[in-house]
Amino acid sequence: MRLTRLKALALPVAAVFATVACGGGGTTGGGSSKGTIVIASDYPASGGEASTGIPEQQAVAFAVSQHQTIKGFTIQYKPFDDAINGVHDPQKGAQNATTMAGDSSIVAMVGPNNSNVAKAMIPILAAVPLAMVSPANTNECLTKSFSYCNPAPSELRKGSTNNYFRIAGTDDQQGPAMAVYAHDTLKFTKAAIFSDNETFGKGVADNFQKKWTSLGGTVVVRNDYDAKNTSDFKTYINSAKSGGAQFVYIGATTGNKPCIFKAQMKGILDVPLTGPDGFALDPQCIKDAGDNATNIYGTTAGSDPVAGNDPNAKSTIDAYKKVYSKPTDIATYTFQSYDCAILLIDAIGRAIDANQNGDITTPVFSYYQSDPTNTATGGWKYLSSQGVTSSS
Amino acid sequence: MDGSPAGTTQDSALAEKAEEVEDPAAIAARDQAWTEGLMAVRAGMVGNRWVRLLRWLVLGVVIVVLLLMARNIATHSQPLAYFLQTIVYGLGSGSLYALIALGYTMVYGIIELINFAHADVVTFGGFISLSVVTAFGFKEGVVNGPLILLALVPITAGTMLVCGLLNITIERVAYRPLRNAPRVSPLITAAGMSFVLEGLMFLWKGPVNNHYPDLIPTGQLTLIGTTVRIKDAVVVVLALLLVLALDTFVTKSKLGKAMRATAQDRDAASLMGIDINRTIAATFFIGAVLAGFAGTMYGLYFGNIVFDLGFATGLVAFTAAVLGGIGNIRGAALGGLCIGMFEAFWNSYFVSAWTQVMIFVILTLVLLFRPAGLLGMRVPDRT
Repeated sequence: MRLTRLKALALPVAAVFATVACGGGGTTGGGSSKGTIVIASDYPASGGEASTGIPEQQAVAFAVSQHQTIKGFTIQYKPFDDAINGVHDPQKGAQNATTMAGDSSIVAMVGPNNSNVAKAMIPILAAVPLAMVSPANTNECLTKSFSYCNPAPSELRKGSTNNYFRIAGTDDQQGPAMAVYAHDTLKFTKAAIFSDNETFGKGVADNFQKKWTSLGGTVVVRNDYDAKNTSDFKTYINSAKSGGAQFVYIGATTGNKPCIFKAQMKGILDVPLTGPDGFALDPQCIKDAGDNATNIYGTTAGSDPVAGNDPNAKSTIDAYKKVYSKPTDIATYTFQSYDCAILLIDAIGRAIDANQNGDITTPVFSYYQSDPTNTATGGWKYLSSQGVTSSS
Repeated sequence: MDGSPAGTTQDSALAEKAEEVEDPAAIAARDQAWTEGLMAVRAGMVGNRWVRLLRWLVLGVVIVVLLLMARNIATHSQPLAYFLQTIVYGLGSGSLYALIALGYTMVYGIIELINFAHADVVTFGGFISLSVVTAFGFKEGVVNGPLILLALVPITAGTMLVCGLLNITIERVAYRPLRNAPRVSPLITAAGMSFVLEGLMFLWKGPVNNHYPDLIPTGQLTLIGTTVRIKDAVVVVLALLLVLALDTFVTKSKLGKAMRATAQDRDAASLMGIDINRTIAATFFIGAVLAGFAGTMYGLYFGNIVFDLGFATGLVAFTAAVLGGIGNIRGAALGGLCIGMFEAFWNSYFVSAWTQVMIFVILTLVLLFRPAGLLGMRVPDRT
């Protein structure tokens, strides 16, 4: 039997979002097959980025193997590779999207891994429509309308109904996530806030600042530096010091020197540096900070079920490890990819009414602290993962 | 003369050839005309009421900015300590700018060339000393205390020598063959050398920031709430000593005299028996020795170095040289200190995203009021 590609599918996915998000779904179905439903995926599965992409694919395959039929339909899995010369490629993503659009047995896909690939795929798949659920995209402009978003989410979908969902928190929620952590866990009250003055860095610092002041924190200094022309941060550090800052927040990517800032704090101001995934978990940051690399805190978008020893995820992780036993079979977004697949399978099994724009309502962020002596993890230590309910 | 057609052709061919070579007198006359033209324009502008008005307006804006800064300084929670600390940090980066500016100013003073590659030689110096430091396994925590200086001194000296040789090579390959070419040609090769060096350093160390170990012993002195670390003191004192040494060298030594003579009038100097090529090469060597020192100090002081550092730093250092009066050694030192200080003050008391803009606004203003820079320029006489 031919399965009509449901306009409706996007809606059940949204509904499941509100209820399941980041958990494991239950199995449904059984009985004789009424037909075949194909779930696709799009990840960088060759070259250097395969270390992330292959485990993501395996996780989808694993989820499908757990749920081989649903309400009488057989589920199959078809992976796509969006890497060219080892690097994720938006053009290749768009090509894959066109292929998927032409194959009527494919009803939905998991992925992609990278925001710029998603940006290329959304317009093609929104027109079909074909639902996408990404475990890893964090660019806020894929779903949220800000003045600096080009194109705006509605333009990206070209007037079609939304088909895009994700379980990663967005960049605009990262700043608030660290504000909450600094306030509630680290118990600080005075912040010095800086940024590299770029879209991501400044945005994340602005959102940090908004949340921080709303929590009652004091901002002793706020300055945005010109990353290309600045290598002397001592005056900034001095301004933080003279205001009595208990910690520094820098919205920046590693290349824009936040960790060099930390290196120069040595002997002047001995307080923690905090920041977004622009430098969190990046071994280069630890190198940049030299012998002052302790006491750096960072967030990443999404939970870390393995390092976090999540008891709810334990049985799934163990089962997955039985099938895929190599250490390299688990990478950053592996179980997020599994969750996305489960979510889709669940959504396919339902037909409920649903809501708006494809982001999760309770994004989870993981917190990491620098740990320079631990070379096995690139110099970072997992602290915790927390849901951030009251995003700005 | 018989006026045979063959003879005429030959004559005109000769004449054409002569025109191609263009005698120095014609060049001098044209330059003179240009200079006079520019002076006339300037004189016209000075006399213009609107320009005078504009000057007052600019002066007004400057005064307002200064008043704002004074207010910010006075209203700070710890006015004196914060102010003094800003001066300390301003002196630190300012003395590094001064060292780099010296290289620009010396080369410009003697052959009127903006040596774009100079700041890349600085970066190169930083990379060389970083490699040696890494090769010996020096890093924070491994060696501490004053003993490290025993290693740092020869490493820095070696770096300075290598940079000097590199710069002489650059001069020999890229600038000397073009010494009598139109002025824009060596300018282009200078830009080219800059890109070549940056490209090589990119291949060597990659695009990332390279951590430079913080080897200068820690320790500090606190006075009136102001901290002076050994690092800050070392950079400022050494830079000052080098500037003084260079100034003495240029004014007192024989080679220095030769350099000044060559700068003033290359042809006359040559007639007096000065070896022009050797003198110019010496200028490049000395400039690059300072660059090697500055590169090493930069790494030690700021704790990192990246392949394209030269671009931004070079622009600021060249600005410093122009600010002080191009060709003028004390001017370059003063200009470097001024810009370092200005940067520190602007970052401390105002929104720092504007710092770079303001540096160039200041430059424009200084040149508007004092076209020859703070201490007056010293460039070759062309007539």
